[in-house]
Amino acid sequence: MSFRNATILTLAAFALIGCNRDDVKVYHVAKDDSAAPPQNQIVAPVPTENSQPQLQFKLPGGWQEIAPSQMRVASFTVTGTNGETADVGVIPLPSTGQEIQLVNMWRQQMELPALTNETAAETISVGNDSAKLFDIASDALLIDGKSRARILVAMLTRGEMSWFFKMTGDDSFVAAQKPNFLQFLKSISFVQNAPAQIAAAPAAQSEGGKSIWAVPPDWKQIDPGAMLSAKFSITSGDGSAEVNILSSGMDSGLAANVNRWRGQLGLPTADETDFSKSISTFDIPNGHATLVDFNGTDSKTGKPARLVGAIVPQNGQTWFYKLMGDDEIVASQKDAFIKFIQSAKYPDAGNAP
Amino acid sequence: MLATLLKKLVKIFTSLRLTVILLTFAIVLVFIGTLAQVDEGLYQAQARYFRQWIVLGLDVFGRKIPVILPGGYLIGTLLLINLLAAHIYRFQLSVKKIGIQLTHAGVILLLVGQLVTDMMARETQMHFVEGETKSYSESPRNYELIFTTEDGANSDLEVAISDKLLARDGEIENTNLPFSIRVKSFWKNSEPQFRAPMMQNGPPLATNGVAANFDFHPLAETKTMDDKNVPTAEIEIIGANGSLGDWIVSDWTTDDSMIEALRQDYASQLGAQMAQKIIGDLTQPQFVSANGRKYTFALQPERMRFPFSLTLLKATHTIYEGTDIPKDFRSRVQLQNPRTGENREVEISMNHPLRYDGLTFYQYQMSAGEAVEQAGQTPSSVLQVVRNPAWLTPYLGCALVAAGLVTQFMFHLVGFISKRK
Repeated sequence: MSFRNATILTLAAFALIGCNRDDVKVYHVAKDDSAAPPQNQIVAPVPTENSQPQLQFKLPGGWQEIAPSQMRVASFTVTGTNGETADVGVIPLPSTGQEIQLVNMWRQQMELPALTNETAAETISVGNDSAKLFDIASDALLIDGKSRARILVAMLTRGEMSWFFKMTGDDSFVAAQKPNFLQFLKSISFVQNAPAQIAAAPAAQSEGGKSIWAVPPDWKQIDPGAMLSAKFSITSGDGSAEVNILSSGMDSGLAANVNRWRGQLGLPTADETDFSKSISTFDIPNGHATLVDFNGTDSKTGKPARLVGAIVPQNGQTWFYKLMGDDEIVASQKDAFIKFIQSAKYPDAGNAP
Repeated sequence: MLATLLKKLVKIFTSLRLTVILLTFAIVLVFIGTLAQVDEGLYQAQARYFRQWIVLGLDVFGRKIPVILPGGYLIGTLLLINLLAAHIYRFQLSVKKIGIQLTHAGVILLLVGQLVTDMMARETQMHFVEGETKSYSESPRNYELIFTTEDGANSDLEVAISDKLLARDGEIENTNLPFSIRVKSFWKNSEPQFRAPMMQNGPPLATNGVAANFDFHPLAETKTMDDKNVPTAEIEIIGANGSLGDWIVSDWTTDDSMIEALRQDYASQLGAQMAQKIIGDLTQPQFVSANGRKYTFALQPERMRFPFSLTLLKATHTIYEGTDIPKDFRSRVQLQNPRTGENREVEISMNHPLRYDGLTFYQYQMSAGEAVEQAGQTPSSVLQVVRNPAWLTPYLGCALVAAGLVTQFMFHLVGFISKRK
């Protein structure tokens, strides 16, 4: 083998080795391969009634919202120019993977044979999500023995829920209303309820670019990390203190929260009656806030510390304000801390999604 | 003309001077690369100095030095060419030279083996708790965006897009997916932040899924061995009839250890019930429907899949009595391979790895023993899974070098002794 050939061969070998790196790979795997969660894995909670999102939509002309009944979260009646009517309902159900059975139930009502799969469906949009639409028209004259009936069902799986949007009525009228029905579906958006779902930040979180709290000049805003709504640090001389602000949609009771703070100061758990002396209230623009004040030892640093905490219930949320640090600084900042809390502008209940 | 040029080239590539120059560069590079690990961390220093053809500029003790150096790949390749060229050019088939030939062959094998290892070896980890069965291991540093859809009654189709492709911020298409994925941003490291009212941040990052309740922020890439980067990407899924929506995909929503750390953090501040609710929101699977099929997707550690499975039967962690010093880590696993019909128990312990199907399973980490049982946790074990097609080359290379040196020495010794006689 000549020198030249050997070199070429070597370089070709490198090139071959270097090319063997795929960026997209496709696998066929057995279903139970990754499905079994490890025993310590966190399982997502089953959605409860109040975690069901609310619907927002735009109604087409001739549609009127009426009080929902039974399993429905929304009901509408559609009236045509000649007095024909159709009924529209929105039904959320826990997702089972067997949604086709419900569609078959409606087909049965229309005296049609059952479907074995979902291939008969059109793909449409419900809001930003893709959904399936079943267009079921009867062959028999089902309405008063005079005219045929039609059902349009849009089926959307969203999280652990399946949503059914159903329009029922006279065959020709429902067929004529189909574009309006699709337009209605396209306009739908899901908004989470505030109490169970932590609400998204409202648009009205600042006014004219100003912060929603009047922050004292010697407080420095710092990165709040993953948990907190906001965090400030106060330093003066050798001492320091921090202000933490946290909001929660769940009211776990005064004693539990006060004891959580007591724990951070190395103080034992106590009943409400035991620490009633350390509790006071102060006024806020539309109500009262509870204030606690404790001395103890910072369980993280082992140094003496003081904690002033305030609990502010507001629009279904509870706000926890905590000023904690060296006794001197906390004492000097306590009034400013209360004024800071009083300056807060909370989003209106109506604004909170 | 061509013959002269070739002669010159051959002279350069067969010269001992080139070897010395390359070895000098190698010494300098190793020195600089070692210093650089202080600031840049092991993996970045490796990537910047050794797994590189040309090194442009150095950072030593926080100072930038504008120098161009040959990288590890270039030095290795030139050394290999140098050695091969000299070997071929000066090759003489004689018994006297056999020792030298063997030694050179051994060094060549070492160089080639190292290159193949670097290019093809993969190190991954397999985490499992007692009773759990796994047929894949996960990369500690690389991630992939996986789309999963039903492919039949008992199987799923998985399309995995590597984080390298996501980092290029483009549009990704694959014939197995009825939509394309546009990567709007990709952060190698990130942290989640809960979206509570009054937070000083803007609208949600995306309109769907986890982004409704969580914001994600980019973080500086971590360089230390103890921390890991947790990537997040913002993607738009585009179907045949336009956009199907924006989503945030993040390893924060799939990584068990990070989720558990977050849950404990929330639990200490908000109580266990609220923490569970928040984590439930964070880990809710995300999916998109297209062409009548449901595609679940998640950004998760890159997986190496096996045609067999391992079930952790028992994790044992013993310590020397009266001390905290570990005595033994041991995992008893059930190996099942439906293709070969194998179904047997194997013990994996420190220094006793399982070698199977081109893979080596080493005992790596363990959470077992009395402390774990008292805490009410299920014992778990982590195996380091290594695939290295070139694992034998260092052994063979060293054996060849040793055999060559011994042969050469023996020739001289025998010649010397017979001369004296």
